[in-house]
Amino acid sequence: MATATLKSAHYTAPQAVKPATRPWFFTRPAAKTGLVSWLTTVDHKKIGLLYAVTALFFFLVGGVEALMIRVQLAVPNNTFISHQLYNELFTMHATTMIFLAVMPLSAAFFNYMMPLQIGARDVAFPRLNGFAFWVFLVGAIVLNVGWFTRAGAPDVGWFGYAPLTSVAYSSQFAGDSSTDLWIMGLQILGVSSVIGSLNFIVTIINMRAPGLTMMRLPVFTWMTLFTAFLIILSFPAITIALVELMMDRSFGTGFFEVARGGMPILWQHLFWIFGHPEVYILILPAMGIISEILPTFSRKPLFGYPIVVFSGAVIGFLGFGVWSHHMFTTGLGTMATAAFSLATMAIAVPTGVKIFNWVGTLWGGQISTRTPMMFALGFIWMFMMGGFSGVMHSAAPADAQQQDSYFVVAHFHYVLIGGSIFALLAGIHFWFPLVFGRIVSEFWGKLSFWVIFMGFNVTFFPMHFLGLNGMPRRTAVYDGNMGWNSANLTATIGAFILAIGIGTYFTVMVYTYLKGKKATGDVWDARTLEWSVPTTPPPEHNFHITPVVHARDAYWYEKTHAKEIAAEKAKNAQAEESHGGIHMPSQSWFPIITATGMLIGGLFFAHHHFLGAIAGGCVMLLGIIGWAFEGPGGYHLHIAKDGTVTGGEGQDAH
Amino acid sequence: MRFSPVPFLRRAATTCALLALPVLHGGWLSGPQSTFDVKGPVARTQLDVFYVTVWVTMIVFVIVASILAYATLKFRTKGPIDKNSPVPDQGHGNPFVELGLIGASIGALVFIAVPTLKAIWYTYDVPAEQRANAYEVTARGLQWWFQFEYPAEQIDGSGQLVTGNELVIPAGRPVRINLRTSDVIHSFWVPKLGGKVDMMPNRGNHLWLQADEPGYFWGQCAEYCGESHAVMRFRVIALGAEDFAAWLENQKKPARTVAPVADAPKAAFASYDMTPKKRNSPGYTAAFDADPMGAWTALQFPEKNEDPTLIAQGRALFKEKNCITCHNVRGHEGIGVNAPDLTHFGSRSTLAAGLLENNKSNLHRWIVEPNNVKPGNKMYMGVNGMAGYMEIDPATKAMNGKAHIAVNDTEARAMVEYLHSLK
Repeated sequence: MATATLKSAHYTAPQAVKPATRPWFFTRPAAKTGLVSWLTTVDHKKIGLLYAVTALFFFLVGGVEALMIRVQLAVPNNTFISHQLYNELFTMHATTMIFLAVMPLSAAFFNYMMPLQIGARDVAFPRLNGFAFWVFLVGAIVLNVGWFTRAGAPDVGWFGYAPLTSVAYSSQFAGDSSTDLWIMGLQILGVSSVIGSLNFIVTIINMRAPGLTMMRLPVFTWMTLFTAFLIILSFPAITIALVELMMDRSFGTGFFEVARGGMPILWQHLFWIFGHPEVYILILPAMGIISEILPTFSRKPLFGYPIVVFSGAVIGFLGFGVWSHHMFTTGLGTMATAAFSLATMAIAVPTGVKIFNWVGTLWGGQISTRTPMMFALGFIWMFMMGGFSGVMHSAAPADAQQQDSYFVVAHFHYVLIGGSIFALLAGIHFWFPLVFGRIVSEFWGKLSFWVIFMGFNVTFFPMHFLGLNGMPRRTAVYDGNMGWNSANLTATIGAFILAIGIGTYFTVMVYTYLKGKKATGDVWDARTLEWSVPTTPPPEHNFHITPVVHARDAYWYEKTHAKEIAAEKAKNAQAEESHGGIHMPSQSWFPIITATGMLIGGLFFAHHHFLGAIAGGCVMLLGIIGWAFEGPGGYHLHIAKDGTVTGGEGQDAH
Repeated sequence: MRFSPVPFLRRAATTCALLALPVLHGGWLSGPQSTFDVKGPVARTQLDVFYVTVWVTMIVFVIVASILAYATLKFRTKGPIDKNSPVPDQGHGNPFVELGLIGASIGALVFIAVPTLKAIWYTYDVPAEQRANAYEVTARGLQWWFQFEYPAEQIDGSGQLVTGNELVIPAGRPVRINLRTSDVIHSFWVPKLGGKVDMMPNRGNHLWLQADEPGYFWGQCAEYCGESHAVMRFRVIALGAEDFAAWLENQKKPARTVAPVADAPKAAFASYDMTPKKRNSPGYTAAFDADPMGAWTALQFPEKNEDPTLIAQGRALFKEKNCITCHNVRGHEGIGVNAPDLTHFGSRSTLAAGLLENNKSNLHRWIVEPNNVKPGNKMYMGVNGMAGYMEIDPATKAMNGKAHIAVNDTEARAMVEYLHSLK
């Protein structure tokens, strides 16, 4: 074996710590396949897939909730569902789509693609990465567990405006804990998001391949970085608000409780100073994906890279200064309304810049309208429309008529479906060959795109008119004499077309995963490092040799300077092996154990059983202690000249 | 070049025309809560700002979309990706183009910003020169109905004039509305007269609006406020100066008592439909919609065929069924403050917070099975610790499924007669 001959001062001999000397509960799991490998994984790619599968499941759950809403609204004064269930459905549709579908799906891409794009072998804190996923799953369970209880799901709206969330106004009966579950679920999800984001930030700052300067980062990685910063800066605000609300409900404090002198308006400020950056948390990853797909399918670098990156930063920064445009009707007074109105208009500039640059990227390119590109182009069109209706309600006086009407519903679905979801669907299509080594059929891909595109517009375009015709949001019934009938029926028909499109899309994905055409390597003639992996799907260690980056579109440069790169790689391979081979992180049970403690504690706390909550806390503490004392672990892999990999957990530990 | 713009533009124009069809012919913008059919200066100012935003964004959209469509079609290659085909120019961008576009975007936004700022100040409060002429009322939101208070109209021994669910205002005069809430956040929205402002707990909000002409306007709570938010509606009735004065004079009077007469007519009341309705079944009729103002006016006068005996029975039942604990009927037995003031209930055109047209059939339905009309309503569920139609268990503070008040058809008929006599 190569290890025997190549030892350097940096290399610690495998005999330093013998695995056999460790107590049994500190034994690192070594399974690479099967259930245990998934439960204990620290591989960013496996975690990415876990995020993706969970997110897509909840995307379908949220979709079914939306369909039930649309069926109820298909005709005036419908009796398909009750007011109470309707309120639960719109609360959970929004909460699910935002926190359990779009955010984790973005996290899936961050996890899977970002380390590959920066030429890293994993994220900075692999166990923490696994923990972030398990905590996310715990939050998702806590949020949804209400469906199976007498109280039903939360019904306070995803925005949870005080004092409707107080015990007096949110309980259908004594001991109705649906709102407590909502509060607890969101807090747990916040923990997951903040942990994940810190991990991404540290990874991007510290683990870039040699030569990958910040201004050479792929735009998707930039947007990952901005999103991560937005999350760690905005989630504390909602966490404070949720903790205060939890205190109000559990221990009788008076932060928002009107009878105790609380200020409901305080909740809105805290919520929206999180809630507005949250909008950019949902859209910036999408913009990153689009900024990867457009250059690839135009065979041309992104137009105005520095300005696209900078505008992403400006959007993130301004995103913290516009929260009160969600509150134009709360009586802010003239000066604050004017200030937030102007700040909101200002945010249209960096957003517009991105659209201009995407058009500039297409200009003069060699545009190949493959399915991912279709979704990307659809994104630009739909996002543009959502952006323009956004400008319309940045004007506060106009917004006084639009706020809480279907006009707003139309606007943010253009941004979140036409924007985020289109981009995420584009991303799934684009990276599918990389992740699974199979390629989706063009015919079925394009068909699903056109059905989704049509269904989406038929659903949401009429809602602009519904809003301007005075239909308020969050209403389970409406009268037949208000002029809203045909637009509502159209929207419902559209929703089913959209559902057929989404159904087709995912059926095709599952089919392709199982039986699709095999595709290896760089199928799209791509430009960034993730496509330079030795095999598709990528091996656990991502790269046989850590790449060296010489230019912005690193892989494009590699392809156009093949000889020079090959020589460099051969040299680096030797150097890497002389440092002891590829250092890989060990798997661990403790992330999932710690998260389980949170699940137990969270569920008990939400039901005001504080002893149970303490028990859950103990499990969590036990997990943290085990985590701390099992040590960092790690093992080495060695790549022979012919590409065969040797080494693994327990064989070569140090 | 494969791409030619003429058929593309023709197709685009046809698509736009097709899209416009349902909007123009299907009445998608002309409902009773249309923000386009404005009837007062506040709504008009807001609409003007909206039009500015529409024009500016439309122009930008047409320019950017044309370039995007052109670029996509012109630079599109058919056929598979061929890694060996010649590579296009790998240009990274043009700083002058980018800076120019940023400048142009800022310029376009200034067009929107100027009228926006002017309108923010104009719509916030009654303009100074008209302040002396403004009429002041208070609108209070409750789960799930509106109370309207007239601080300028004091009644000896009873405080200010209070009504529910129908706000009557003078036309042609600015009206300053103080916005208050007694429970959660609600929002006051009459689209044809002006945009919404929220009713926030622990916060004294206000708005102003003005109806150019006398008219009948639809309004609705626009902030999610719990189970029956969807059916928390109201009406605004604007009257000319004389009519408004006459209305006020009548409203300030105590509740009307119909004197018993020997040869009272009988059975005229029996003609209305008392069959139980389906949940959510609509409460409006085409005749009412055709002339709501006429319908409202007709309700201001006592009915011709009143049955004093039945009315007296209804009044007794109103007390016996404990309605008086929550409803105020000034001059009669009702003294409550938790529910809408019913002193002049018979003169209102709607009931159950603008949900149902105020006719006998609908009122009957509302009295007999309120929870089927408006789920979760306090009349049924109880309020402030007092039981409604359902019993509240004192230990758990929850309903135990037993009826506390039940109203049968015969009783309801008498109560309908009584309530409709309160003109």
